[in-house]
Amino acid sequence: MIPLENFLLLSAALFAIGFYGVLARRSAILILMSVELMLAAVSINLVAFAAYLDADGLTGMIFAIFVITVAAAEVGLALGIVLRLYRERRTANVDAADELKW
Amino acid sequence: MNPDLNYEYALLLPEFILAATAALVLFADAFRQELRVSRRLLPWLAVLGALVAGVVSLAYLDRSDDFAELLTIDDFTTFFRVLFAAIVVVLILGSHEFVERHVRHVGEFYALLLLATVGAIFMSAARELITAYIAIELLSFSLYVAVSLTLGDRRSGEASLKYVLLGGVASAMLLYGLSLLYGIAGSTQYAEIGAAFAAGTADFEWALVLSLALLIGGLGFKASAVPFHMWTPDAYEGAPLPITAFLSATSKAAIVALLLRVFGGPLLPAIDEWQWMMATLAVLTMAFGNLIALQQSNIKRLLAYSSIGQVGYMLMAVTAISFETSSALLLHVAGYLVTNLAVFAAVIAVHNRTGDERIAGFRGLAETQPYLALVLTAGLFSLAGMPLFAGFATKFILFQAVASEGFLWLSVVAVIASTVSLYYYLQVIRQMYLYPPDGDAARWRPSFTALATTGGLLLGVVFIGLYAGPLFRLADGAATALFV
Repeated sequence: MIPLENFLLLSAALFAIGFYGVLARRSAILILMSVELMLAAVSINLVAFAAYLDADGLTGMIFAIFVITVAAAEVGLALGIVLRLYRERRTANVDAADELKW
Repeated sequence: MNPDLNYEYALLLPEFILAATAALVLFADAFRQELRVSRRLLPWLAVLGALVAGVVSLAYLDRSDDFAELLTIDDFTTFFRVLFAAIVVVLILGSHEFVERHVRHVGEFYALLLLATVGAIFMSAARELITAYIAIELLSFSLYVAVSLTLGDRRSGEASLKYVLLGGVASAMLLYGLSLLYGIAGSTQYAEIGAAFAAGTADFEWALVLSLALLIGGLGFKASAVPFHMWTPDAYEGAPLPITAFLSATSKAAIVALLLRVFGGPLLPAIDEWQWMMATLAVLTMAFGNLIALQQSNIKRLLAYSSIGQVGYMLMAVTAISFETSSALLLHVAGYLVTNLAVFAAVIAVHNRTGDERIAGFRGLAETQPYLALVLTAGLFSLAGMPLFAGFATKFILFQAVASEGFLWLSVVAVIASTVSLYYYLQVIRQMYLYPPDGDAARWRPSFTALATTGGLLLGVVFIGLYAGPLFRLADGAATALFV
C-alpha cells in the first residue's frame, strides 16, 4: 500500500507550485489557474486523510466535492470580473490594474 | 445522531426569509416591465424582508437546536442575526438614493446584500468546518460581485479583480489549513475536534502549527488583518459606498463571530500553539492600520485603514480569549457597528450632495449642513474612543478585560494605537469645522430617510456611550451560549 506521506508530499508540492504561480504570473487567467492548483492540492489532502485516517471516510470526500463545486463557482465569477477588466483596458494583465494605490 | 432528521427547521426561518427576499428582489427586477414594478420599490422590498427576518429571529430567542452539530441556533447566533438584519435595514434606508444614482444592476445589488447577510449569519452559526467554509464563501462571493457594481467607475472593476484574486488565494490557504486540521482531528465537527485536541495530539505538532498558521492567515485575510490587508483599501475605494460600509460592518463582525466560535471552542485546548500568532497579528494590525491611515486623503481609504485598526482591537480580544473577553468583545463589536454605520450614513448623505470622496470635500460642512457634521463628528470621536460616545464605553470594557487576562501589554499597545487614531479622525473634523466651504456655501437639507437613519444611529452612539448596561447584558447572554 502507498503510504499516506506520499499523498501529503504530492499535495504540498502542488500547493507550493500553485502559490509560486500566483506570485510569478502576471495574467489574471494564469493566476486563476494557479489558484485551481492550490485547491486541487486541498482535495488530494482531504481524500487521502479520508481514506487513511477517518473511520467511515465520508466526511473528507464530501468536503472534497464541496471544494470542487465552490472552486468552479469561484472561477466562473472571477472570469466574469476579468472579462470586465479586459473590456475596459483591452488586457487581462494584472499590472494594468494600477489606478488604486496606497 | 438523529436519523429521522427531526430538527426544528422553523429556527432557520430568518435565513429562509432573507434568501427568499433576495430571490424576489432579483425576480421583480428582471421582470420589471411585465410586472409594472417600479425600481423604487426594490429597496423597500429588501428592507421589509430584513425587518421580518430580524423580528422572527427575536421570536425564537429561547429555543435552540444544533442540526446534527452542523450549525447551532442559540443566543450567540441570535445576537448576530439581529445585528446583521438591522445593518441591512439601516444601510438600505440610508443609501437607497445613492444606489439609484451610482450603482448598476440595482436588483442584483440588493439581492447580493441580502445573500451576503445570510452567509454572515451562517458564519456565526456554523459548528462544523464545511458549513463554516460555505458560509464564508457565500459572504465573500456576494461581496466580490457587489464591489464591482459602481456605475461608470473604472476603479470598481479593478478593485473587484484584486479582491477576487487575492480572496481565491486566501480561500485556498484557509482550505489547506482546514484539510490538515481534518487530518489531525479526524473530524470536521467542532465538538469532535475539541475532544481530539483535549485528548492530546502531540504526534502532529508540526502539522498542527502549519495548519493553524494557514487557518489564521486565511481568516486574517477575510478580516483584513495586517499583513493580509492589501486588498482592503483598494476594495473599499472601488466599491459603491454602501458596500464599503457593509465590508467594514457585517463582514468584520461575521469573521469575529467565526473566530470566537472556532478559537473559543475546538481550538481552545491548542491555545499554546496559536496564541502567539494571534497576538502578533493583533499588534501588527493595530499598529499599521492606524499608522497608514494617517496619510490618506480619500475618505473611503481613510475609513478602510481605520477599520483595519479596529479589527486589531478585536483580534487582541480573541488572543486573550475567555468568557469575560468574549462578552466584552461582543459588546465592542455591537458598539462598533452602530458607530461605523453612523459615520457611513453621514458620509453617504454628504456624498449624495457633493459627489466628492476626498477628505477635503468635507470642507465647511459645519456651515452648509451642521447636523450631518455633528453626526460625523460624534461617529469619528466614538471610533477614536472619546468619552460620552459608544466607542469609549466599549473600548474601556474591552481593554480592561484583555488586561485582566494577563495581556496588559496588548492593552497598552491598543491604547497607544487609539491615541494615534484620534489624529486622523480629527483631520476630517478639522476640515468640517475650521475651513469655509469650497464652492457653494448655501445650506442644504438631506432627504428624510437620511435624516432618520443618521438620527437613529446618533442616538444609538450616545445611548451606548452613556448607558451600556442593557447592551452589555445582551452580549453577556450571547457569550454564555458560547461557553456552556
